[in-house]
Amino acid sequence: MKLKLFVHRLSQPSRAVLIFCKLNKIEFEEVQIDLSKGEHLSPEFKEINPMHKVPAMEVDGGFKLFESHAILRFLACASPGVADHWYPADLFKRAEINSVLDWHHANLRHGSAGLVFHSKLAPLFGLPSDVQAAAECEKVLLASLAKIESFWLKEEEQFLLGNSKPSIADLSLVCETMQLEALDEKVRQRLLDPHEKVRKWVDDTRNAMQPYFGEIHGVLFQLKDKLKEMESDE
Amino acid sequence: MKLKLYADRMSQPSRAVLIFCRVNGIDFDEVKVDISKRQQLTPEFAEINPMKKVPAIVDGRFKLFESHAILQYLASAFPGVADHWYPADLFKRAKINSVLDWHHSNLRRGAAPLVLNKALAPALGLPLNPKAAAEAEIILSASLAKIESFWLKGNGRFLLGSLQPSIADLSLVCEIMQLEVLDDKVRARILGPHKKVIKWIDDTRNATQPHFDEMHAILFKAKEKLLKMHSDAGSDQTESSRKPALPSKI
Repeated sequence: MKLKLFVHRLSQPSRAVLIFCKLNKIEFEEVQIDLSKGEHLSPEFKEINPMHKVPAMEVDGGFKLFESHAILRFLACASPGVADHWYPADLFKRAEINSVLDWHHANLRHGSAGLVFHSKLAPLFGLPSDVQAAAECEKVLLASLAKIESFWLKEEEQFLLGNSKPSIADLSLVCETMQLEALDEKVRQRLLDPHEKVRKWVDDTRNAMQPYFGEIHGVLFQLKDKLKEMESDE
Repeated sequence: MKLKLYADRMSQPSRAVLIFCRVNGIDFDEVKVDISKRQQLTPEFAEINPMKKVPAIVDGRFKLFESHAILQYLASAFPGVADHWYPADLFKRAKINSVLDWHHSNLRRGAAPLVLNKALAPALGLPLNPKAAAEAEIILSASLAKIESFWLKGNGRFLLGSLQPSIADLSLVCEIMQLEVLDDKVRARILGPHKKVIKWIDDTRNATQPHFDEMHAILFKAKEKLLKMHSDAGSDQTESSRKPALPSKI
């Protein structure tokens, strides 16, 4: 299976797919699609994903797939040697992972990605910051973090749903949470400080996925420094 | 112990799960959670689903919410569910997963807020919000265009060129059916340009009768009620005739 991944490391779902493949020794070719240069809008990329989004994948020059959760599920099932805990064969465990992946879209993703985009990243794409949109997304983010703290993370174990080992849900949601690094440190702390379990879970997931987690998130920390520089120049 | 399904037939994802169970002969008890009476906010229901949303299921001691996760679980866990609903083939399954995921941030994000902010809000004790409705309509129209041009490509009558319906068809069609509560002219304006979409809604409906119409009956009652409310209020919102112009044949 010759796998091509079309990604941008500033895209949270792209990072989740990249880390998953590296951890599971799935061979792939990384094709970088630079969103800040509008490469996702090119006719060539439209052939890969008509929704113009990353990540997307192509197998053996034929089968194409987009939507990071669909990609993670496919790779977990189709690649040899992927340990069961990533996407268990047990129907009950699998269903629970599916439910948190679904919940993620309209909750953590909507809140976190929206807040970071509308308050920080929009100018990088030549768009104005939208204070009202950012405020609405922050509300959704706070509610989502509270739900992860009180419900999705159980007392007993390190990972989502009370699992002792990480699943594709931990990968997806933690990569999303990492995007908050692009915010001012004070803002990020204000958002995350009340959630002790969430902070520990981010750490535990990170540790379980080194060195790839740190490597793939390198660009995000570079962006963080760049944004700090830009703001102190102003 | 029989499967328990907590649902409100006014909820699009509730209807998808209800229809799926009926079509596949899955035995279940339907427990009505009336959103208009805020029954989803009771402490009892929070025990079932702490996110306070429908649908949710209880299968023995196992609880589950999120309609796509429920549909995927039921398709896999219950014997006798035909393969086409959620194929075992990993490639076909992956494509169905991708349209289900796409749905969250696209069709659902457009259709649901449009209907809520343009029509249903008062029934839930909320104000109408024309600005939110207008923003939602943009997302909805873009989503319908994507279904028309991309998701319905291929030989078959259903999403992804399939010859038979999958859980994706059921989920997305139930979402679009919610537009029935809108003024006929508005609905015709939004759906009219998308001929393949209109046909696909009919095909999905026909493939799941009589359960489709049974589960959607409440929607048509709500439409009648809203029409009556508007004409009582003397509003000029419903200049169109009472006879629906598009898919609904009830």
